[in-house]
Amino acid sequence: MKRQLFATLFIASLLLAACGGGTATEVPPDQLTGSLTVLDWAGYDAPDFWVDFQTTYPKVTVNFEIGASDADIYTKMKAGDQADIFHPYTGWLQFYVDEGLVEEIDTSKLTNWNKVPDDFKKIGQINGKQYFLPWDWGFTSILYRTDKIPEGVDSWAALMDPKYQGHISMWDDGPGAVTISSYIHGYDETNITSAQLALIKEEWTQQRDSNLFYWAGEPELVEGMANGDVWVAYAWQGAYATLLGQGVPVAYANPKEGRNSWVGVYGIRKGATNMDLALKFLDAKLATATGNNVVNLFYYGHSNQDVMNGITDETLKQAFSIGDPSILSKTNFTPNLTAEQRDDWTAMWAEVKAAP
Amino acid sequence: MLDRRATFWALYLPPLLWLGAFFVIPLALMAAFSTRAESGGDLLRLWTPSLKQYLDLFTSGAYWRLLRLSALMALAIATMATTLAYPIAYFLAFRAGRRAGFYLVLLLVPFWTSYLLRVMALKIMLGSNGVVNSFLTYTGLIGEPLTILLYNRYAVVITLIYVWIPFAALPILAALQRIDLSLFEAAADLGATPFRQFWRVTLPLSLPGVLAAFFMVFIPTVGEYVTPLLVGGSRGFMYGNIIQDFFTKAANWPLGSALSMIMLVSTLVMVAVALRLVDLRKLIE
Repeated sequence: MKRQLFATLFIASLLLAACGGGTATEVPPDQLTGSLTVLDWAGYDAPDFWVDFQTTYPKVTVNFEIGASDADIYTKMKAGDQADIFHPYTGWLQFYVDEGLVEEIDTSKLTNWNKVPDDFKKIGQINGKQYFLPWDWGFTSILYRTDKIPEGVDSWAALMDPKYQGHISMWDDGPGAVTISSYIHGYDETNITSAQLALIKEEWTQQRDSNLFYWAGEPELVEGMANGDVWVAYAWQGAYATLLGQGVPVAYANPKEGRNSWVGVYGIRKGATNMDLALKFLDAKLATATGNNVVNLFYYGHSNQDVMNGITDETLKQAFSIGDPSILSKTNFTPNLTAEQRDDWTAMWAEVKAAP
Repeated sequence: MLDRRATFWALYLPPLLWLGAFFVIPLALMAAFSTRAESGGDLLRLWTPSLKQYLDLFTSGAYWRLLRLSALMALAIATMATTLAYPIAYFLAFRAGRRAGFYLVLLLVPFWTSYLLRVMALKIMLGSNGVVNSFLTYTGLIGEPLTILLYNRYAVVITLIYVWIPFAALPILAALQRIDLSLFEAAADLGATPFRQFWRVTLPLSLPGVLAAFFMVFIPTVGEYVTPLLVGGSRGFMYGNIIQDFFTKAANWPLGSALSMIMLVSTLVMVAVALRLVDLRKLIE
């Protein structure tokens, strides 16, 4: 009896192997079931930003957990969060690899991978391996109310200008503050000395007197700018797009020190059990309909170059400065932080907030 | 006998387990984490205990001022909230009569809406285009909107007093309701004026409730962080915000744990000293 069962199983497995890929691929996409958990930023849980996955695999349940910041997402993953997929940004990638929290991505399983330019692919590589899938990108710059500041803003130093006392809003983030000071003073961001860090701390402690509030989430900033409390702020394109949509007179500056730019990536948790579904999700994240929504709803760029080449809208072209060939050369990419820099810079920021 | 013991455990085991799992163990973990020198590596691996985080905090000294300030703010908030809650509790206990139940529900109505919503409502009241400023500008009393109302330490104090008043009223109400009404008759018979009656009978007998209300407000307020985040602006931070930053922004749990332990110990010391100064048992006698 037993032997017979073994024989049957053996033959069955041979047959399955011969079919290539096993039964999993045999299930039509719209019949595929299962569930995935994604740890993402507020807003990205909207179906617009994973519409291709939803239409292709309607029976797969996707659950979202929300992280408030890169640090928050990192701390959650480090504490053993069971999300299959998470969404960090440039600057915060190295730790996931160092602490063994991220799985290498098998890009041969991704049908849309060839649409991603090599420069973007490189951003997701750590220690020569593709740990992350580049997805959204954009600028950080100064957002200002054109009715309150008709003369415009042309330098990052505007965030510290006492002229705008009580109407400035900085992002609540130490590494972000170090980046801005580095641009203003021409420091090498990857090699900040302790003397420079002391000056940066001093500078932001003084800035605090002009700063109305530090914003933690984009909606907070949008509200402050819309009601006229905030005139000038550290901001991402998403806030710019939202405010333009609300009819608030705002502009997004081109500071002479250059804008900052960032790339958002997706990673798969080390030890994620449904690797196959996770890869399908990432592949669908690169697809066109999802990419178009990122561009049209948040004014962010997308790593699928077909999406970017398809932009015809003049406002969008302006948002990405597609017509200005010099803009990308004037852009500074966020370098990856080391654990030591993260500890020093966040402590510096806490001391700024605690200063008398 | 066995029956009584079984009843004892049946009643006490669930809360004990609950507190053990969600209060004692996390607290012990926090104390343990604060002795970790590095934030990297597996969370649950073994490490050599070190006082590095505490030494760093003592040498930098950046956060002491904020701890002192938070304690002072909590003191002011607890005093104000208790003082303002007293008349409410007094009214409910002695003046509301048959409608006391209805008024008590009214007092608790704010808790039916989320705390965030209530603070957002205050922001709408106090903002530069808010209700207060619009009204004052409209009536011509001020030319420019007042900026003092929101995004500073005062806004945090005002908001927290408002939030705590209903909480503070409850223990005072409970204490007032326990007072034997015949004591008032006796006081009146002996010729005490209403004011004297209040001063010599009502107030002393309600003091345990007042103290309970005071500490119920004071202790959580020292570590408050949500309200400063919402209405405090860039100069309204409290010690709790720094702790939160080290956990969620800096991913530095050992330092955050050390900061928490310092707050825990200093709050316990403050409460112990305060209770020593005002001896509860003497008050009740």
